Amino acid sequence: MAPWAVGAGAGVLALGPGLGPGFVLRYDMVFVPDPPLSATTLGGGGGFPRAVPSDAVVGALAQLLPADAVQTVLLLAVFVLGAAGAARLVPGPYLVPRLAAAVFYVWNPFIAERLLLGQWAVLLGYAGLPWVLSAAVRLARARDLARLVVALLPAAVGGFSSVVLSALVALPAGLWGRRGAADQDRRMPIGQRVPGAVRSAVLAVAALAVVSLPWLVPALGSGARTDPAAVDLFAARADTPFGTVGSLVVLGGIWNAQAVPEWYGHPFFAACRLVLSVAALAGWVWLLRRCRPLFGRGLTAAAAAGFAIALLGVAEPGRELLRALIGAWPGFGPLRDGQLYVAPLALLQAVGFGGAAMWLRGAAGSGTGHGGDGDPGEPLSSSEADREAGSLRVFGALWTSAAGSAGGGRPGAGRGAGAARVAGAVAAAMLLVAPFVLLPGLVWGAAGRLAPIAYPGEWTAVQRIVSADERPGAVLVLPWSAYRGLDWSGDGSTAVVLDPATKLFDRRVVWNDDLRVEEGGAVRVIEGEDQLARRVDRLHAAGVGVSGYLESLGTLGIRYVLIEREALRGPDTAAAVDPLSAGLLRENKFSDGFREAEVVHRGPRLILLELHDEQVGAVKDELSVLEVTGWLATVGAIIWSLSVSGSSLVSMRPDRNTGTVSRKESPTC
Amino acid sequence: MLRVIAACAIGAALAGGLAFIGTTVATNASSTAEPVNESLYNYGDR
Repeated sequence: MAPWAVGAGAGVLALGPGLGPGFVLRYDMVFVPDPPLSATTLGGGGGFPRAVPSDAVVGALAQLLPADAVQTVLLLAVFVLGAAGAARLVPGPYLVPRLAAAVFYVWNPFIAERLLLGQWAVLLGYAGLPWVLSAAVRLARARDLARLVVALLPAAVGGFSSVVLSALVALPAGLWGRRGAADQDRRMPIGQRVPGAVRSAVLAVAALAVVSLPWLVPALGSGARTDPAAVDLFAARADTPFGTVGSLVVLGGIWNAQAVPEWYGHPFFAACRLVLSVAALAGWVWLLRRCRPLFGRGLTAAAAAGFAIALLGVAEPGRELLRALIGAWPGFGPLRDGQLYVAPLALLQAVGFGGAAMWLRGAAGSGTGHGGDGDPGEPLSSSEADREAGSLRVFGALWTSAAGSAGGGRPGAGRGAGAARVAGAVAAAMLLVAPFVLLPGLVWGAAGRLAPIAYPGEWTAVQRIVSADERPGAVLVLPWSAYRGLDWSGDGSTAVVLDPATKLFDRRVVWNDDLRVEEGGAVRVIEGEDQLARRVDRLHAAGVGVSGYLESLGTLGIRYVLIEREALRGPDTAAAVDPLSAGLLRENKFSDGFREAEVVHRGPRLILLELHDEQVGAVKDELSVLEVTGWLATVGAIIWSLSVSGSSLVSMRPDRNTGTVSRKESPTC
Repeated sequence: MLRVIAACAIGAALAGGLAFIGTTVATNASSTAEPVNESLYNYGDR
């Protein structure tokens, strides 16, 4: 249980004030009160399924818990699952190396920067990577599929990017980690033999496909496009003094300068983090040579492939290739965010960090006092870990071991060797806290940047009005821009976040999904994926006037128009911020409504217009037969996998007898 | 010998880090700032 506890502790330390009542809102992380569970959140309605099925899962969980508690549970799950998964990949019977891996995996620049960008769904997939690796490496027969599907549960919740990351790990692991496939091949008639690696890869693809159906089916039918111009803006960038490549090696390099943790670029911390990553890589090499873990080649290949993808955006030829790929097929769009793909390298470094702790501890030479029966190249079973970690004996055992080794380890060991072992044990213990100390910007809500805030009552008021209306029709959100600066905390701070209105309603919301990114003092715009938003864009450009505008919105299937007055910053600046919203407010100043619409909510923060029914040409948001089939297949496969494997993700047991090195050869492993 | 050196290096790094954090927290210094006084925000800045 110790790795689970360490993960929970790290989560509490990182989230800090965010664990209290209220919602942590930051960039892509948007949680709302009473989040809807509707056909739209399940992928229906024709929009681009960018938050499928994560929004649906949040909506489902919110039926059981308050929505802010759901957010807390999901964020903590990232740390707990990630830490426990990384720990169980470290071979050998020793707890400290496994805890070192656990700490490294959940306390590094990658997790800090993605958290500050609000990409909790991506982080769920990241947390599931160790479990995916562990399951994929044993893929040999169809019955192994159930274990992989269970391991893919976090990625299934996370959606698109999470599944892509999982594929990056699962496919190499399946190709190079097949267990017993060769034996099985030999038993089969020659004419029927299928290479085990191919069989494992096919099984991995099948598992990935089945958990992807909820977002894959609507995505293929959405007609979405991806703007190749985004390649330049979302490519990895240098956020340390070591350039872009160096930043990626230390697991940083995110494109957004606003998502970099406090003090991260300070030369002292940057240098120390670089040393830490190099030590972790050295530990990985040592571990590969010493223990030859079954997942070694697969994880090495996954990390190398991920790093190569991340590097694509660093130089112009790579960017040109990415632009060509995205131009040929929008499905290559996720490759534009290169830094995302260092996630397998983070896992490799975490396990290598455990290896470094193992080396420091000197276990390779002593081999005394810890007669664990784990097999080489495989993690311990949970029960062994539980026994070892069941009490405060953990750290006591470390010191006892060190002292014992110092006093009489191997015959002939002198005082110098004993001192070295004590120093090694102390260093291993210090390694446990090094990731925390050398990345202080993640502590306590990322130095206060992940603070909870409460929604003003007006937001739930307009949510109730729209929810009470059973007639079809989308909600259009103005001002026509995706991100807002919310100053609801009352302490003068501003939370920059995707407009919460995009997730507030149980029907399709049309918002400007163009992304504005500042580079070199100039704001560049990346065209969004939603085709209905593009049609509204063209309507704005046409300059048809307020009446014509509202009439046209009705024909596009829009029933409500939500104007966020607080984003306009008052009447004096409204016209400069968003002329269209200002025009609507001006027209509405001396009356209760328009000829084409009625004001159904008017408050200091929000105005909600409802278009007259006869103007609205909308159809009800529903799931297509294909989308329903996709959901049924995914949910059915998950239920089947849980029942077949007889376990949840938490209780998945590692297998035995799969290593390649005997314990006599390597007492460490 | 390598382990002794490693222990010293890790200890020095931790001490340096803790000293920096302590000093920074004590002086309430901050090196980054959110963009403020804007109306419509960018997705981010490179």
